[in-house]
Formats: sequence, C-alpha cells, structure tokens
Amino acid sequence: MQNVWLKTEKLCKTFSSGGLQQHVLKNLDIRLMKGDFTVIMGSSGSGKSTLLYALSGMDKPTLGTIHFGDSEISKLNNDKLAIFRRNNCGFVFQQIHLLDNMSVLDNVLASGLLISRNKKETAARAKQLLTEVGLTEETWRKFPSQLSGGEAQRAGIVRALINKPAILFADEPTGALNSAASDSVLDVLTKMNQTGQSIVMVTHDIKTAMRGNRILFLRDGVIRGDMSLGPYQKGHSAERQEQLQDFLSDMRW
Amino acid sequence: MSILNLIKANLRKGKGTVVSLILLIAAASLLLNVGLTIISSMSSFYEHKVEELSDPHVVMMMEQSDYKQENGDFFRNYDGVTATEVESILVMPSATMRFGDSDLNTALSLLDADTDRKLGPLKLIEKLDSVPDNEAIYLPYSYNRSGGYKLGDSITIAYQDKPYSYKVAGFFESTMLGTNNMGLIKMFLSGAAYEALSAKLGGDARGILISAAMQDMTRSTRILDDYHKVYPLVSEGATAKFHYMADIESMKQVNGLTVNMIAMILVAFAVVIVLAALLVIRFRVSNMIKDSVVNIGVLKALGYTNRQITSSHVGQFLLLSLLAGVIGVELSYLFFPQFGNILSTLTGLLWEQREAVVLNLISILFVMISVTLVALFTSLRVRKLHPVTALRGGLKTHSFKRNYFSLEKARGGLQLLHAGKSIMINSKQNLMITLIMIAVTFASVFSLALYDNIARDKTAFIHLVGAETSNVAVQAKSEAISGKLKAAIDGMDGVQRTAMMDTITTMVDGQSIFAYVSDDFAKLDNQMVYEGRFPKFDNEIAISWAVSKLIDKGIGDTVDVETGGAKHTYLVTGMSQSISNMGQAVYLTASGVQHLIPNYKGLLIQVYLDGMTNTQFITDVKAKYGAMASEVTDVDATIDSQSSIYSTAVAAVMGIVLVITVVVIVLILFMVVRTALLKRRRDFGIMKATGYTTSQLMNQLTFSYMPIMLVGVMIGGALGALCTNGILTVLLSSSGIHNVQFTIKLPMITALCIALVVLAYAVSMTAAYRMKHITPHGLITE
Repeated sequence: MQNVWLKTEKLCKTFSSGGLQQHVLKNLDIRLMKGDFTVIMGSSGSGKSTLLYALSGMDKPTLGTIHFGDSEISKLNNDKLAIFRRNNCGFVFQQIHLLDNMSVLDNVLASGLLISRNKKETAARAKQLLTEVGLTEETWRKFPSQLSGGEAQRAGIVRALINKPAILFADEPTGALNSAASDSVLDVLTKMNQTGQSIVMVTHDIKTAMRGNRILFLRDGVIRGDMSLGPYQKGHSAERQEQLQDFLSDMRW
Repeated sequence: MSILNLIKANLRKGKGTVVSLILLIAAASLLLNVGLTIISSMSSFYEHKVEELSDPHVVMMMEQSDYKQENGDFFRNYDGVTATEVESILVMPSATMRFGDSDLNTALSLLDADTDRKLGPLKLIEKLDSVPDNEAIYLPYSYNRSGGYKLGDSITIAYQDKPYSYKVAGFFESTMLGTNNMGLIKMFLSGAAYEALSAKLGGDARGILISAAMQDMTRSTRILDDYHKVYPLVSEGATAKFHYMADIESMKQVNGLTVNMIAMILVAFAVVIVLAALLVIRFRVSNMIKDSVVNIGVLKALGYTNRQITSSHVGQFLLLSLLAGVIGVELSYLFFPQFGNILSTLTGLLWEQREAVVLNLISILFVMISVTLVALFTSLRVRKLHPVTALRGGLKTHSFKRNYFSLEKARGGLQLLHAGKSIMINSKQNLMITLIMIAVTFASVFSLALYDNIARDKTAFIHLVGAETSNVAVQAKSEAISGKLKAAIDGMDGVQRTAMMDTITTMVDGQSIFAYVSDDFAKLDNQMVYEGRFPKFDNEIAISWAVSKLIDKGIGDTVDVETGGAKHTYLVTGMSQSISNMGQAVYLTASGVQHLIPNYKGLLIQVYLDGMTNTQFITDVKAKYGAMASEVTDVDATIDSQSSIYSTAVAAVMGIVLVITVVVIVLILFMVVRTALLKRRRDFGIMKATGYTTSQLMNQLTFSYMPIMLVGVMIGGALGALCTNGILTVLLSSSGIHNVQFTIKLPMITALCIALVVLAYAVSMTAAYRMKHITPHGLITE
C-alpha cells in the first residue's frame, strides 16, 4: 500500500512507577495514510498523547514496531530518532513550547537551519509561512512572551512546517487557546492539509476533531473505533458534527 | 512546618549541589585558615623560636688573631644588650660538602658541642648515641630537611683540598646560621672530634664567635652598624681576613621571605575560592527560588511570612557554610604538617602546630558571612513574589529585549549562534565566571612563573638574590698574586672570560654597607643596576635602591665612602637591587677602592667557561695554579644546592595552586552546566523534539561557556604575563627589590592557558553529557 506513511504492529507502551506497571497502549496495529488529517480522540488517560509521541518518534514503544515508509523507527537510537524527526516530522504542542529567548523568526529558523545550510532560502520560506498563517512582520521580531496564545500557536505551526515534514503531529493544539484563537489555528491546519500536508492530531474536543477526515477512537490503550469523514468544508459543519457525535456515542464517549 | 523543616526540605532537593558547595566552601576555609595562620604566626614563630632556643640576636666571627678584648667589650657594654658570650670556634671560610643533589660551597663555623653556652646552646631535635665521639657531627635541621642527610650518614667536608669525614650524630635547630641563606653555616663537633680537627687545621682556622642577646631584638641591626663606626673593618691587606656578622632581624627577614610569599599566595587563592563558592551559591538560591516558586506561593497562601521563607533559604546556606567552614578548618590541621614541612625546609626550624582558635573562628566567620550575605541578597526576590503570581508560575526571570545573534542575519554555525544567545542572556553570571577564570589563571601563571624562575632556570632568581652566576670562582691566596692568577686563568682553555668580584665592608654616608668590588662590572652576568649604569671609573659608585632610600641620595649625587680609616667621595652613576643584605649594597671599581685601600687588588676571581665542564676546569686549575689559589668553588653546584630549598617550596606551592585551579574549574563548570541543564530543561526538550541531537545540544551548551572561559583564561594569562614581575616587585620591595625581571616565557604560559581551556572543554562536555537524559517525552509529562 503505497499511500501508507506510518504503520504500527502490535505497538505496546507500558509505564512503570514504584513497582506498578501501567499498560497505556496495547497491541495497536495502525496505518496512517498520506494526505490524511487523522484525529486521535479519547477520554483523558486513554493513551492518545502517548500514541502520538510514539508514532512521531518522540518516545520509544515498549513492544511492537513502527515503520515510517520502509524504515523501522522503533529500533532507532535517540540521536537517530532526532534526525528522523527533524527530517520527517513537525510538532505542534498544546503548551506551544516556543523558545523564550528567541524571536518568533528565530524560533522557526532554529528548526529550519537544522537541515538547511542556506540561511537566505530558509529565512525566506519562514517568512512566507509566517505570512501565510497571518503573522505580520512586526510579530516575527517579537518574543514568545509578547504574543497572544493564537499568535504563538501559529508561530508553533510554522516552526513545525519549516522543514516540509512528511507528517505534522499536533497534540491538543487548541487546548490552551480561546475560541477565536482556536479557530484561527485550526483554519491554518485545515489549509495545510488541503495542500497535501499529512496531519495527525490528538484532541478531545469535537469541534476540533471535525477538521479531520479520519477519526481514531482510543480507550484503555486500544483503538475502539475508526471512522472516515469527507474533506472538511466550512459551512457543512452541522452535518459533520452530527456524524461525529453519532460515532462518539457508539464509542460511549 | 517549622523553618528547620523547610531548610531540610530545601537541602534534600539538591544533594549534588550541596556536596559541591561543601567542597568549595571547605576548600576556601582550609586555604584561608592555613594562609592566615602562617602569615600571623611567621613573625611570632621566629621570635618564639629565638626565645625557646635561647639563640643570640647578633653574632660576629673573626679570626682569633684579630680579636681583642675590646671587641667583646663593645657588645657587653652596648645599651640594651642583656647577655654576651665569646668562645673559640673553628672557621672554614670556604668549605665544600654534599647538599641535596649537588656540592655546596659555603663558609663554615664549627663549634664544640661539649662547651657549655647560654646563648645558642645545642638543642637537638634527634640524635644517634651510637656514633663514636671522635666522629660525631651535629648538623642544622635544614641538612636533614633539604640536604638529604639522615642520622648515621657520613658527611665529608672538603677544605683546602683535604677531606674531613664525620658521622651525623644529630640534628639541631637554630634561628641563627641554621640555613644556607646567609652564606655561613654553623655545625657542632663532639669534644673529641673538635679537638682533633683543631689540631689538624692549626692556628689559621681558629676563630672567635661573639654572641649577644638584646632586650629588643629589632635593634640587632643597629648594634652592628654602631660597631663598624667604632671598628672600621677593612684595612690594607685585610680583605683576605675572615670576618662575618649576622643579626636576627636579617635572618628572620631572609628566612621568612619565601614563607610569607607562599602564605600570601594561599590567602589570595582562598579568596578566589570563596568568590567561586559565592557565585555557585548565587546560582543555587536563584534556581531554588525559580524551581520552588509554586511552593513559595503555597507557603505564602498558607500564611508564611517573607521572613520565614527567606530564612529557610538563607538558613540552609548558613548551616552549609558553618558545616563546610568547620570541615575546612579541621582539614587544615591535616594539611598543616605538609605546610609545616615546607616551612621547616625553608627555615630549618621545626614547625610546631599550635591551636589558633581566633584565626579558626575568623576563617569560619569570613566564609559564613560572605555566603550568608549572598544568599540573603539573592533570596530577597521572594519578597516581590505575591502568592497569586507564585501560584501561577511566578516571576519571569528574564524579560527579553534584544534578539542577540539573530539566526537570520548573524554569521556562524547554528550551534555557535545558539551558544552566543545563551552567553548574552546570562551576561551577569558569565561576567562572574570570567572574573573567577581570570583570577585562577592569573594565580596559575604567577605560580608557574615563580616555579620556572626559582626551580627550573634559576638565573633571574639568583640575580635577584644578588649572586653572580659565573661557573667557577677561584680565590687567590693573597692580593699580591691575584692579578697574576687572573691573567693566567684568562689564558686557560675553555675560559671565556674572567672578572674580579669581591666584597668589602664600608661606611657609606655613615651607614654600614657591603660594597661589591669588580675590576670590570660589564663582564658580570648579574647586571643588577636597573637605572643608570655600574661604575666605570675610580670616582664612581652605584648604590642599591635600599641604600638610596636610606641615605636619600640618587644618581648624580655624591656619597662619602669610608673604610679602614680612609675616606673618599664618589659620584653615584646607577641604582641597583638585590635581596641579600636587606637590599643594602654599593658597587665600586677596584681602582676606586684603591682610594681607600691603596694596594687593593681583590681576591675572588669569577670564571666563565665555554665548552668545558666545571669539574674539568677545577681539576685543571688546581693542577696548574693550585699553589696560588686558596679555594676553587663550583658556583653552579653551589647555586643548585643553595636554591634547592626554594625550588622544593615553590614547586609545592605551584602544585597546590594548579590542583586548586583544576578543582575550581571542574566544580564551577559542573555547577553551571548542571544548573543550565536544570534551568533550560524545557528548552532542550523542545529542541530535541524538533530534531536536535544530544551531541549537538552538548556542544551548544559547552560552546556557551567556552568563549567565557577563553576570555577569562586569556585575560588571566595576559595579566599573569604582564603583572607577575610588578606584583613580585611590590612583594619584595621591603627586601630591597625595585624592579623584578623574572623571565616570563610566553610559550609556556600559552601552553598552560591552552591546557586550562582544554580542561574546561572536557569538563563542560562531561557535565553536559547529562543532556542525554533530557527527552522530548519529558515535555509531555512536565
């Protein structure tokens, strides 16, 4: 299946603490397709963030394999995983996690210059992306503490996209934002997806989940449901929301 | 929760830092205590020893034939003299024996151990009863500490080409003539051995020792000056006569000079360590507040006052510094024997460790107060923190105003630019690290320069002392033949040049001063004149800086010189410096001295060799001109043996300074790198998430310290190179030195600086290896 970007087989993740073991992910077999906007949903503690970080190579699985294209990333050491991430993945965090001591532009370039030696070209691309997400030139020079939540998260998205990642991973990207800022961030993600960017997003918010075209529902570390939706279009949200709510009802959400 | 519980909780959180802090503070109080104890007790130590050993404050030796009753009476009747003794001794004006790894040539006075004396009685530290009475010799303790002799060893004294062998039956302490520093050594022979030697040497070797004790020993220098006013020493033909005098103040000054320098270096270094500890404490408190800001909010919300919270922070450092201070002071007592060994090596006296409670308390209080003040000022930030602000995550430690090293515009690699940003953000901390690096590098360069000039290539040091660095010295039997002997030596194979260099005692403008006399000062290695020039003509004189101050004369002035009842006026042409004779010396040409002693020729010929060993030359000269020479001395060997005590002490100090430098660099870097890892854990997690590898981040962090270290080391190295001579000049100014010209070897200093930078890099990288444990996954669980 040439459209498969990421594939897991019998993926397990167990955390140990104080002699107690917690099996967070249990034997997951997942295939993520190119160009999809995959949303992972589930209640708190279901393992969705753990799954996202395992898929993105931020964390190693306890058992099982993860293949990215033809490469098995679950066996890579930490440094190789870092190189894998810089070349293939982009991340958007719920807490945004911009570097405080750098301007917005430098935050983006700190990622971009990791794989590009051409400063001019990388800076031009950064500026273009920043403009695309609606951040003005004045904002590029600001420090993270001087930005609103929405601005900061959009800058975070640009940082994630600067290296043209195969997959953009987003962990509750609107979790720390107000409604207007959430919409602007989701619009950016939707727009990116519509240009062919594969996205995997974790959320527990229905409104946010509606942006995806595939919903995976996770409970107790197991995928309980997998639903496909049509491409997101503004103005058709009521019907889409109903579809999603039905699915979630089936999942006993 | 009580304040004590808060303190305990704070301490438990940072065990690693606590251990490092204890180490640093303990090291600081240790050095401080050692340095202060040595400095404060050196003066009283010497005085105490003089009293304990009942040593004389003034000694004078002369040939028995020169002695008259009135000489002894002068001392007996001098105001302030409490006791005098006159006794017969044996004198060897130029004896040679093994000392350490080389031959030592020195004037030697041999006393009868069985004679009952009140001043300077034989006080043995250790003895061996099994040595037969007719072979027993008792040596100064310095011969054990530096000379390598042990009880029962044989010692052979070569005098006038004849060997005299004895067995070491004991070592004694003496504040007067117990070391090689004053050009004459005192030894005791058992009664039988003394009688036998006296018989062998005959009347020429018999001398008189006049010893005097005074109410006020600081007047001991004065009594000798007054003596020479009454009894001018040199008269025509008298330069061949043996005459020696010494006072306890000069002894103390010469023996204490290096000790005091060492003590000052230790105290200065202790201050550097305290500064380093304070820097670390500032980090610690600052981080602690940042890390526990929510807890502080909770405590404030619960009703804890600012004072209670601040007290918990300050209290832990108070406890830590008290503990570490006490440990340091206690440990200093373990180190005192080592320092005592160095002091014993330098002074030839047993160092007795005495409790110095006041100094111990000063050392502990100094570190405690410094530490507490820094902790207090840093923790005052808690006052500004309102409970709500604290509960929300607290104050922003930085308000970023400038985007330093813009990644878009600045040149350089990505990691370097990140490092640059980090440097600019932590500028205050970096300034302090730079200052510490400057201090430790300077101290290292300073001690290395001392080591290089005192323990390795000793020429500059020997010149400073005032000695001439010829290869061999030949003493003519009489002035009548000295010119002929000099000309003959000049014609020998392997002789590059010769120069006459002698000393006579003179009165210069009424002050008793040693005069160095040479036929041609330009031929001497030791060009002691730092301003103007040596005398060339018979009406010229050069005077030392100390003499210049004493008589308030300088270049262009005239001075009156008297000796042997004659008086002549000379024009001052130059200013010189040297440590010997308290820096007091003048320089006259041989023709100039003839105004005072008409037939003066001088006796001591300095020989400079080229392409011939000293031993070979000595053999040749003895074979050819042995009948004309009373003594031939291997100057190189004598310098080696006489300076060996300084070499050992300076090498030890350099070792201590370098070890401490390494420890400070290691501790400081470990501390700041670990602190950075803690403080920037989130940043590094983010960077790892975006694809930075551990090694990239390790380098990034290390690069953020390397420029600071580099700048600190470079400035410290440059200051060391530029200021070592200046500082030594200040330290030695009281000893008659005006302008120290130690050789500062730039390649050696550069090598040291490079080594320090490499060490800093290695330590930073090692400490930064913990970066491995920071994972992007940590961001999720934050």
